[in-house]
Amino acid sequence: MNALGHDVRFTLEAIWKVLLVSVILGAGLPAIFALGIRSLAWGTPAEGSARHDGTAAMGASSAAGRVVAGMLFLVVLYCVAAAIVFIIATGKGDDISFAHVIPTIKTKG
Amino acid sequence: MILALVVVTALGFDFTNGFHDTGNAMATSIATGALKPRVAVALSAVLNLAGAFLSVAVALTVTNAVVHIQQKDGTPSPSLTADGGHQLLMLVLGGLIGAIVWNLLTWLLGLPSSSSHALFGGLIGAAIAALGWHGVNWVGDGTKLDGVVGKVILPAVLSPVVACIVAAAGTWMVYRIVLGVAARFTDNGFRWGQIGTASLVSLAHGTSDAQKTMGVITLALIASGHWHSTTSIPVWVKLACALAIATGTYLGGWRIIRTLGKGLVEIEPPQGMAAEASSAAVILASSHLGFALSTTHVATGSILGTGLGKPGAEVRWAVAGRMVMGWLLTLPAAAIVGAAMYGIGHVCGDVGGPVVDVAIMLGLAGYIYLRSRRSAVGAHNVNDEWEGMPASGAAVSAPELTSGGVA
Repeated sequence: MNALGHDVRFTLEAIWKVLLVSVILGAGLPAIFALGIRSLAWGTPAEGSARHDGTAAMGASSAAGRVVAGMLFLVVLYCVAAAIVFIIATGKGDDISFAHVIPTIKTKG
Repeated sequence: MILALVVVTALGFDFTNGFHDTGNAMATSIATGALKPRVAVALSAVLNLAGAFLSVAVALTVTNAVVHIQQKDGTPSPSLTADGGHQLLMLVLGGLIGAIVWNLLTWLLGLPSSSSHALFGGLIGAAIAALGWHGVNWVGDGTKLDGVVGKVILPAVLSPVVACIVAAAGTWMVYRIVLGVAARFTDNGFRWGQIGTASLVSLAHGTSDAQKTMGVITLALIASGHWHSTTSIPVWVKLACALAIATGTYLGGWRIIRTLGKGLVEIEPPQGMAAEASSAAVILASSHLGFALSTTHVATGSILGTGLGKPGAEVRWAVAGRMVMGWLLTLPAAAIVGAAMYGIGHVCGDVGGPVVDVAIMLGLAGYIYLRSRRSAVGAHNVNDEWEGMPASGAAVSAPELTSGGVA
C-alpha cells in the first residue's frame, strides 16, 4: 500500500470513532438536556392551551418533575466538567482519567 | 530586524485567527439572542485567553505536518539555519503573510474559512518557493496520519460531514422531546444550554489555536539563536499570543458571525444548543484521537446540520456552496501569496526583503479594511434580516464571488 493509501486508511479508522463518540456525546447530551426541560414542565399545561378568560395557561412544575430534571441536568453537568478537565489536560499535553468516577488529569507517559 | 518582523507578523496572524473564529463559537448564541453581541464576544475572548494560558504543552512541531523545515525534535533543519536562520525566517514570514492576507480577504467576503489551513497553505507555498516540491510533506510515511493529505485535506472533507450528522441527529431529537412544552420552559433552558456549549467551544479553541502561533514564534527564536529549549517556550511569547488571540476574538469578526448565524440557516435556541454541543463533541473527540481538524469546518457543518435536523427549516445552499468554494481555495490561495512573498523577499535582499514583504502586507490589509468600511457589519446590524439586505456584509460579496473575482 502506498503512503496515500495509508493516510486514507488511518483517516477512515479515526473518523468512525470520532463519529461514534460525537453522536453519543454531541447529540445524546442535548437530548438528555431536553428531557430535563421536559421534566420541568411535567404537570403544566402544554403550549398553546389557554384558560377560559383567554390568558395563557400557567402552572408550577411538579416536585417529581423537578427531581428528575435535576438528575438529568447533573448528568449533563458531569459531562461538561469532564470536557473542561479534558481541555485542560490536552493543553498540558496530558490525558484524562475517569478512575474513581471523578475526571482527573493523568500524566501521559 | 527580520526576527522582530516575523514575531510581529505572527502575532498579527494570531489576531486575525481570533476574529476569524469568534463566530465558530458565538454566532449561534448571537443569532438567537441568548447573549447580546458585545457580551458574547467578550465571553469568548476571556475563554480564549484562559484557553491560551492553559496550553502549557509546546506545539513546536506544528509545521512538521505540512513542510520539511524542522527536525523531529522541533529544532530547525540545519540546512535552513546555516545563514543564521535567515532563510527559515523568510520562509516563515512568507507563510504568515499568505495566511493573514487570505484571512482578511475571506473576512471581507464574510466567509468562515479555516485559519490553520491558511497558515498551512502559506507555509506550503513559501516552502515550495524556497525548497522546491520536496520541501512539502505531501503524504504521511505510512506509520501515522501525517502530511498535507492526512492532516489537512482528508479531515477537511470529512469533519464537516461528521459535525453535520451529529448536529442533525441532536436537533431532531431535541425538537421531538420538547414538542408541546411551554415556551417559558424551553426558552430559558436552551438559552443556558447554548451559553454553556458555546463556552466549551471557545475554551477548546483558545487551547488549540494559540498554541500554533506560540510554536511558530518559538521556532523563529530558535532558528535565529535567541532560544534553545525545545521543551519550553518563553513566557512573553505565551503572554503575547494569548493577548493577540483574545483581542482578535473581542474585536469580533462580525461579517463572519453574520454569515454563520443568519446566512446559513435561521437558528432557534434549541438548534443553537445542538450545533454547539455537536461542535464541542467533534472537536474534543478528534483531539483525543489525534485527528487534526479545523474548528471552522466543524462549526459550519454543525450549523448546517441543525438546519437539516429541524423539520421544515430552510438551508441556504447557495451560502453553503460559497463557503465550500472558500475552503477549497484556502490552501492554494494562501500558498500562492506565501510563495510570492518568499520570492519578492528573496529578490529584495537580506535587509530589504522582509521590510518590503511586510509593507506589501500592510498595504493589502489597509485596502481590505477600507473596502470593508463601505458595508460595515458590527454589533448593531449583525442580526439584521439576511434577505433583501444587499448593503450588508456577505450579501454584497456574492456577485463578486460568482463572477470569479476571488483572488
